[in-house]
Amino acid sequence: MADLGTKIGIVDFENPIFVASGTYGYGTEVSELADINDLGAIVTKSITRYPREGNPPPRIVETPSGMLNSIGLANIGVEAYIETMIPLYEELKTPIIMNIAGSTEAEYCEILEMTESASSNIAGYEINISCPNVKAGGMEFGVDCDLTEQLTSRLRKLTERLLIMKLSPNVTDIAAIGIAAERGGADALSAINTLVGMSIDTTNKESNIHFGFGGLSGPAIKPVGLACVHKVYQAVDIPLIGIGGITCANDVLEYVLAGAAAVQVGTANYRDPDVGNSIIIELDTLLDKNNMGSILNLIGKVQLGS
Amino acid sequence: MKIEIATVLENKLIASNIWKMKMTAPGIAEQYKGAGQFIQILVQSSWDNPLRRPMSIAAVDGDQIVIIYKVFGRMTQVITEQEAGEELDILGPLGNTFRWGDDEFTPVLVGGGVGLAPILNMYGECTAAGQNAVLVIGARTGAEHFIDHEPQNNVFLATDDGTAGITGTVIPAIAISLKNTGKPEILACGPEPMLKAVQEFAAAHEIPAQLSVESYMGCGIGICQGCVVERVNGNVSEHSYHEKYSLVCIDGPVYKSEEVIIG
Repeated sequence: MADLGTKIGIVDFENPIFVASGTYGYGTEVSELADINDLGAIVTKSITRYPREGNPPPRIVETPSGMLNSIGLANIGVEAYIETMIPLYEELKTPIIMNIAGSTEAEYCEILEMTESASSNIAGYEINISCPNVKAGGMEFGVDCDLTEQLTSRLRKLTERLLIMKLSPNVTDIAAIGIAAERGGADALSAINTLVGMSIDTTNKESNIHFGFGGLSGPAIKPVGLACVHKVYQAVDIPLIGIGGITCANDVLEYVLAGAAAVQVGTANYRDPDVGNSIIIELDTLLDKNNMGSILNLIGKVQLGS
Repeated sequence: MKIEIATVLENKLIASNIWKMKMTAPGIAEQYKGAGQFIQILVQSSWDNPLRRPMSIAAVDGDQIVIIYKVFGRMTQVITEQEAGEELDILGPLGNTFRWGDDEFTPVLVGGGVGLAPILNMYGECTAAGQNAVLVIGARTGAEHFIDHEPQNNVFLATDDGTAGITGTVIPAIAISLKNTGKPEILACGPEPMLKAVQEFAAAHEIPAQLSVESYMGCGIGICQGCVVERVNGNVSEHSYHEKYSLVCIDGPVYKSEEVIIG
C-alpha cells in the first residue's frame, strides 16, 4: 500500500482524489453507483444566496475529448443547502467541501456566514471566482488581482475552516491571481475552472449552447490545467488542487508532479460516477510499482530542461 | 440503476438506417420498470468522445434487453459495428415510464424516427396485458419502416413521401386511427417537431397525452444538470431551481403533454 494521504492547509485527507464542484451534485445523489465514502473529498455544486433555475437549454454539448457546459449555476440556494444537505453530511466519512458562488463581495460573505452559523461538519469552502456561465457569478473577481485579494481576506476573517479559492484559466496571468489569493489568506488554491469555448451546428447555423459560450472541460483541457498548476506552483507557497481532464492515475501523477497536493475529477464522473474510486486503486498500484512512496514527496517534482 | 458489462447477442439492420440490438444484462433487466426507461451506452473506451449515448429500451425479456436505434452520427455508426459476443458497458435502467392502467382509455401509441423504441415497447406491454392499443408510426419514407400498414389491426404507418401507409406526418394518421377508437390517450415519442405537432393536436382535441421527450444528455443520472426541458407552469425567474426546468434524465423522459414546453 502506497501512502496516498495528503494535507491541504489544516486538513488531512486520506487520499488526493476529490470530485469537482458541479460534477457530483450535492454528494449523495450517486450513492447507488459509487462508494462515496472512499473519495478523498467531495466538492459540492456551487451554492448561491438564492436558488437559481439555471440557463435555458441546450446547456451541454460534447466536443473533441471534452464537453462544453453552460448550466448557469442552477442550485438550491444556501438556505436549502443548510437545511437539507448539511444534515446528510453527518452520515458521511468523506470530507465535504462546500463550493460558494456570489455576485457581490457581500453576497459571498453572507453565504459563508450563514453556513458558519449553522452547525456542520463540512471541512471547508471552495470559492468559485471563475464561473464563465453567468452574468454575475464571480468571474469579475477571478480576473482581477485586487478584487481577489480583497474578497479572500474578507472571507478569511469569517472562517477558520479550509478556504480554497478556485482559479480561472481565462486570464492573462493566473500566477498573479494565485498570489493575490495567497496574500488575502487563502489556505489553498484549486485550478482550473473551465475554459470559455463555443460549438456551432453548421446545418442550421445555431450555437450548440443556448447563450453561445460554454465552459470547456474534459481531457481536452488537461495540458492547460497542468500548465496553470505549474505556473501557480512556481509563484505561491500554499497547496494546490489540480483540476482539468483527469481520467486515470497517470493524470493524477502528472498534476502532482506539476505541483498539486490533490486533484479533482470532474467530467469523467459523467461517464462513470465511480471513476474516482477506480483512480484511487490504480494510483496505489502505480505508486507501488514505481517505488514512488508518498504523494507528498512528489509534489512539484517535474524535471524541466535547463 | 447500475453500470453493467452487457454481452451483445444480436445486432442487425431491420430497415433503412434502423438497427436492433439484443444484449444480455441481467442486473439492469432485473431493475427495469417499464416502457419509457432508457440506458446510457459507453460506445468506446477512448476519451475522444467522453459522454455515453442514451438509448431507449425497446423490450426486456428475462435477462435480455433490446434497443432499436437510428444511425444519425458517428457514435451510432460505431454501435452498428458491435458484433455478437462482444461486450458493451451500459448504465441503466434510467428515467421514468409511461403511466397507464386505466382501462377506460385506449392507448394510441405514436412513434417516429429515434422515438420508435419506447413506443414499440409500450405496444408490447399492451399486447401482453391484453389491452387494445393503436399504433401509429411515422417515417420519411417506406424503406425506414419495418412493420406493415394494417389499419384493420389498428397499426397505421405514415410516410412523408407516401411510399407506405398514409401520406404525411403522423397527425393525419392519428386522426384516421381515432375514428374507431373510443376514449383515446396518446402516448408519443419522436423528434421534436413531431412531439410539438402531437402536443398541439392533443390539446386541440382535448385528448390526454403523454410525451417522451428527447434531450441532449450528459450523465443520465441528474448530476450534470444538462438535459433540461422547460415546464409550462415554471415561469419563475428567480428562486426556482427545478421549478422552471425539469431534468429529463431523472424527472422524465415521460411527461404529461400539458406539463412541458416542446421546442
